[in-house]
Amino acid sequence: MKYNLTYYAVAALLAGAASLVSSHSFAASCCGGGSAASLVVPKYATAIVDLTFDAELYDGYWNHNNKYIKDPPGSDLQQYRMNVGVGYRFATNWQASLALPYVWNDNSYSGVSSQTDGLGDTTVSLTYELLDDNSAWKIRDTHDLIPGISLGLSLLVPTGTSPYDDQQSSFDITGRGFYRLDGTLLIEKTIRPWNVSCAISYGTYLERTINREYGKYVAPYKKDLGDRFSASLSAGYAYVIGTGGDSITGTVSYVYLNEADGSFNGNRDTGSGFDKQSVGAALSYTNNDSNWSIRTGWNHAVKKDGWGENFPATDIITVGVRYVFL
Amino acid sequence: MSSCRAICLLTLLVLLSACGDNLFPSGEDKRTPVSAGSSGGSVSQKSPDFSVSDIRGATVNLASATAGKKGAAFYFTMWCPICDSHMSDMRTSTTLMFPDVNFFLVDYVSGSVAGAARAATENGYAFGVFSTLVDTDNTLLNIFHATMGTTVVIDNTGIVRMNEDYRDGVNLRKALAALP
Repeated sequence: MKYNLTYYAVAALLAGAASLVSSHSFAASCCGGGSAASLVVPKYATAIVDLTFDAELYDGYWNHNNKYIKDPPGSDLQQYRMNVGVGYRFATNWQASLALPYVWNDNSYSGVSSQTDGLGDTTVSLTYELLDDNSAWKIRDTHDLIPGISLGLSLLVPTGTSPYDDQQSSFDITGRGFYRLDGTLLIEKTIRPWNVSCAISYGTYLERTINREYGKYVAPYKKDLGDRFSASLSAGYAYVIGTGGDSITGTVSYVYLNEADGSFNGNRDTGSGFDKQSVGAALSYTNNDSNWSIRTGWNHAVKKDGWGENFPATDIITVGVRYVFL
Repeated sequence: MSSCRAICLLTLLVLLSACGDNLFPSGEDKRTPVSAGSSGGSVSQKSPDFSVSDIRGATVNLASATAGKKGAAFYFTMWCPICDSHMSDMRTSTTLMFPDVNFFLVDYVSGSVAGAARAATENGYAFGVFSTLVDTDNTLLNIFHATMGTTVVIDNTGIVRMNEDYRDGVNLRKALAALP
């Protein structure tokens, strides 16, 4: 089951955008829920380009009572995403980024099958680095304990196909149809070879008017989606290969995502909110000589009662490559 | 550098031009009037007859769907989280308020009576106030131009009184309360 593609496209969009984070927080954010996406340019660099492929495999859902329920027999639901991201440092502590996903929906039930694709929703972000992490090898004084802290502001732009476009089927949806403004706090600390990070995000959608639903014009009304909160925790270990500085970093993560009830014409739409918990693991390889890095990740929804509400349970497999411009 | 910037800007404009109505939502009422009583699935039209099976193998048509009642309500489900939320909302509130209405879930994805029966059972809707219809050849889906969440109300003369995406249940209850 898929919250139909509407729902899924939504989760897709989120996941796609969220995967464009720094290597440390990447694993924590690649999951459907992630925080407002930000493509973090390393302190020593001026820009980065990131290309990520996600395969999101749907396997049941949690209902409004937090009970896990299997998909209908014979169903096979996937969404694939290609996320292109660019980040640019335009001042010592300031950077901006743009993340653009392209979405393929591939859904088969026993009685119906659909394959569609289209542009997803775009995320533009602005990040200010409040404190720098010195990434100490040893703690020699309290200064070495200071974490890196970044504050971000992201705007989700509804460039995807939503239920309010001229699309008759929920299978065609690749975006949510609403602008959303997110504030993000990212705290990272590296004491080599270990690193931990915490990302917290709070977002609010902008109310809009709607005069069409799945291709059918309706009496215009106003709709708003509920505020969104996400938090992720991740921990990683970097293993240096040889003497050249190349490294492989392994990361594990936990992510919580919650969206409150939406509203119609100002009246609360009880039961439209959702939440989800997931865990993840990722591996990244960084080559210091060529400025390239590659990574792969797996985000897993625990398919048991109590790990989500009103949301699809999915596994997301990610493969990405990134280039850093010095 | 300036040419690069121009290319990026042009690319962005091309992409945004294909983004439909979401960037600049319209509040204009663009509904086109239909001829009341004509055959069709839009509001005020007379629903074409149909014949589909329910999950127990019984055949349901337009007449039997509303027989002895003020009308019938149909909810199109693909057994998803939001579908469950809507169906649960209907079951705990709307169905209790309108005992003189038949309530149907329309499964348009399972493709067989057995598959739909299993899905209804696993989701907790095999018994109770809802009857689950199995729209194997998408008859109902096509009549009402429906998709996940589409909610249709038909009165006992076959006139379509509501056909829209399920929202918070308020419009559904208004439509049911207005049934003659």
